[in-house]
Amino acid sequence: MGSSKEKDEDESEGLAELLAELKDLSELMIDLAYSSLLLQSKDLAFCVLEIEEYMDRLHTSFELKALKKGRERIDDKGTLGLIRLSASAENISDAAADIAKIVLREIPTHPVLQMVMRESEEILETVTVEEGSSLDGRTLGDLELESSIGMRVVAIRSGHKWTYNPSPSFRLLPGDLLIVKGYSEGREALRRMASKEPQTSVLV
Amino acid sequence: MYCRRLVIALQPELFDEDEEGTLIERKPIRYHPISVRDALTELKDLSELMIDLAYSSVLFQDNELAEEVLVLTERVDRLSYLLIMNASLAVRDKRDAEQVAGIIKATDSIHKIASAATDIAIVQLHGIGIHPSVQEAFKKVEERLVRATVANQSILCGKRLQELSLESRIGVGIIGLRRGKRWVLNPKPTFKLNPGDVIIAKGSERGTQQFLRLAKGDLKEVP
Repeated sequence: MGSSKEKDEDESEGLAELLAELKDLSELMIDLAYSSLLLQSKDLAFCVLEIEEYMDRLHTSFELKALKKGRERIDDKGTLGLIRLSASAENISDAAADIAKIVLREIPTHPVLQMVMRESEEILETVTVEEGSSLDGRTLGDLELESSIGMRVVAIRSGHKWTYNPSPSFRLLPGDLLIVKGYSEGREALRRMASKEPQTSVLV
Repeated sequence: MYCRRLVIALQPELFDEDEEGTLIERKPIRYHPISVRDALTELKDLSELMIDLAYSSVLFQDNELAEEVLVLTERVDRLSYLLIMNASLAVRDKRDAEQVAGIIKATDSIHKIASAATDIAIVQLHGIGIHPSVQEAFKKVEERLVRATVANQSILCGKRLQELSLESRIGVGIIGLRRGKRWVLNPKPTFKLNPGDVIIAKGSERGTQQFLRLAKGDLKEVP
């Protein structure tokens, strides 16, 4: 039965994509949570909580898909493995959210953490694309942010959708929230590019 | 005796191997001064690496990667104890206590993340696994992670990473390595490889297979 085999492949691909997303997002959450703590940034902390909320929904659809896949055999180990993976991803995202909540509860961190950013250090940051700014309507491919200002876009939130490792064809729209990684000089340049204030010299 | 064996099986991080390879009780963790900031950064990097390793172990049915997750658990465990000891010593008054609470809480959360990664590795180590069709589909979307030990006869011995330029030549990046008990995460280009180094590398299926052969000494030059 060719059609049922095809359906099985479709299901597996759907599960694999969701799994990849769960994995990537949990790594991103740790990075974001850590940056929020180091920079005492509520913006970043809120991002972590938003991704956590998004992850919760991903889990539900992943688990439903996994259960559906195991529907013929209830003693299916493969399904158990998928559910365990998903439960662990949930634990990871909860733990990352707990770190973010330290910042949101306004518990200041002790000077032993030495909040100074080191020059050699890359840090995550958020930038929102404003309407009419030099990022508005452009694709990541033609902006080439990495080679021009050394900033890598690791994730984008447009509306309620999160995209991890966006492709060069991704077109930026007003209101999109970018999570970028890079050194401090690049961050300033990117902030200027994302704001709609008239620019005299924008390097692109 | 039975009880001790059970503890070894459940909590391998509490034990050490002596020269003959038998498990002995690990030395207790004693206070020594460390930078809280550096320790927290390392914990964060370790936990990210553990997640990557743990998922890959299940998706590529690789016990070696899963074992490495358990080895890293040990490091995370020691480091978080040390971090909390160091942070505690910074407390002199109520204000300090408030500020240090956040650091301790963060350390605990990272520890939880490491435990979750271990739970994932156990799906592989206990032979639970996931549907083979999902594994197949996953291989199309994700890069391969491998563990390689540098053999004496490997051309990698004594070379700096920048001389090898593995990234540009075979598309393989070294994300971490273990030398004895020491872990180096995201090694610098000037880092020199030694025989016996246990390397975690990431790249395409083809590239990582070439890398494994380079480490073993079967392949005598970087393609």
